[in-house]
Amino acid sequence: MQAEISCHRVRKVFGKGLTAFEAITAATFSVDKGEFVCLLGPSGCGKSTLLMMIAGLEAVTEGTILASGTHMTGPRAEIGIVFQDPTLLPWKTALQNVLFPIEMMGRSRSAYLARAMELLRLVHLDDAIHKRPRELSGGMRQRVSLCRALIADPSVLLMDEPFSALDAITRDDMNIVLLELWERYRKTVLFVTHSIREAVLLADRVLVMGRSPSQIIADIKVPFARPRDFALGETEQFNELCSVLRREIEIARWGEAATRH
Amino acid sequence: MVEERTPAIPSVRGIDLSGLWSILALSPGVLVLPVATAFACLVAWQAIAVYGDISPTILPPPTMVLQQLVLNFWLILKHTIPTTYETLLAFGISIPLGIMLAGLIVYSRLAYQALYPNIVFFQLIPKIALAPLFIVWLGIGAPSRVTFSVFISFFPILVATATGLQAVETTMLRLCRSLRMSQWQILVRVRFPTSFPFIFSGMKVAVTLAIIGIVVGEFIASQQGLGYLILFASSRQQTDLALACIAVLCVVGIALYGCVSAFEKLLMRWYDTR
Repeated sequence: MQAEISCHRVRKVFGKGLTAFEAITAATFSVDKGEFVCLLGPSGCGKSTLLMMIAGLEAVTEGTILASGTHMTGPRAEIGIVFQDPTLLPWKTALQNVLFPIEMMGRSRSAYLARAMELLRLVHLDDAIHKRPRELSGGMRQRVSLCRALIADPSVLLMDEPFSALDAITRDDMNIVLLELWERYRKTVLFVTHSIREAVLLADRVLVMGRSPSQIIADIKVPFARPRDFALGETEQFNELCSVLRREIEIARWGEAATRH
Repeated sequence: MVEERTPAIPSVRGIDLSGLWSILALSPGVLVLPVATAFACLVAWQAIAVYGDISPTILPPPTMVLQQLVLNFWLILKHTIPTTYETLLAFGISIPLGIMLAGLIVYSRLAYQALYPNIVFFQLIPKIALAPLFIVWLGIGAPSRVTFSVFISFFPILVATATGLQAVETTMLRLCRSLRMSQWQILVRVRFPTSFPFIFSGMKVAVTLAIIGIVVGEFIASQQGLGYLILFASSRQQTDLALACIAVLCVVGIALYGCVSAFEKLLMRWYDTR
């Protein structure tokens, strides 16, 4: 299969000289077209930085990032991003917020209106299309933000801990919504999270990122059939895989503890 | 949004006054209470002025002030017009000036470094002290008063707008960059609308300062305007007339403030439904 995103020995250093801080040592991995990959790791391991570099929003210190076979030099229209915050414009309605990228790209709003409505319907926001962000709950806002990332029909969806600011119940709902959307559109997704269960529920493959050195330390396939739902979370295999990942993360953190002494 | 508040129910010597409040209090905190307080003060003032054996030159009772207001209505109105007009002119100049300077300061590091410390420095000196100099520079006509008024009223708009333009969150700016928006698009479509509420709060401060600027200018050198009339009445010990002018000045101030406030509501609603 063709790799949609591929990173080769990507390094990131913030600052210069004595204050320089190495956020990522050497990250090498690739994501195939239509694959759902979770980037899992303890906080501060540089996974969000890596995602921002893939989005073209952060400069790469060393190494190469290829997206659809070409070097990343800056943000691209075929990449949609969902941030941890919904980042909605408060004076625009849900629908207008979803259409915002279309407006900014200078495309015709009317051509995308039907798609926007469909996306909002798929995330169960039919009744909220004309509501403003302040009238929406945290989960609803993030769903709008998800629709906005998908409106221009990107080939890649980058998600930076999109549900980590939500409460546990809403988070579960959001996972199901995301699974439904993915089943329908089959985008290439790179999803950053620090929740093991979330990663196993959503992904085809989980990349575990460690700290010191900050790199991909494990690449684990998630074999469960799709479409998935919450019943999967109760199965033995699911929990087994979670504990495997838990051990990997412990190794990642243990490595970090060892360097402290 | 309606704020739910339990009104503090006053009781005098254990007598429960909640019954009285339920009659008065259609919305006790909003309208009845401030009006009642003001009215009580006026009554007290009247009583002190009338029964306190105080010369009307020192403290004319409110009824006398009202009488002056009625008797000299056309005279006061004649002087209200230039004051209001000049205030509006000064305020009208302050708004684009403050907003544009804010844009310049936020977007250009050079402009920020060159201008901002100097603007702040000028704001730190008591600006009223500079008022006579404006008369020296620009004469005793309206231009000197309007310029002085602009000088003291643009600053709150500048600061508020600059704060608003910078109030856009980092992730929002990241989103803008990911959509490959130009700096101009970011300014017009994101930063500027984000700063609307800030600009209006700056404008509310500025409009009151604009009146102060004009009236101070009229105090110093003018043949017209409410400031001139107040000074004129005071010099002839017509305290009642001076107070009548001040009352009109209050009305003008409240009206202008109200206009800004109403315009804010209107614009926010228009923006909301766009």
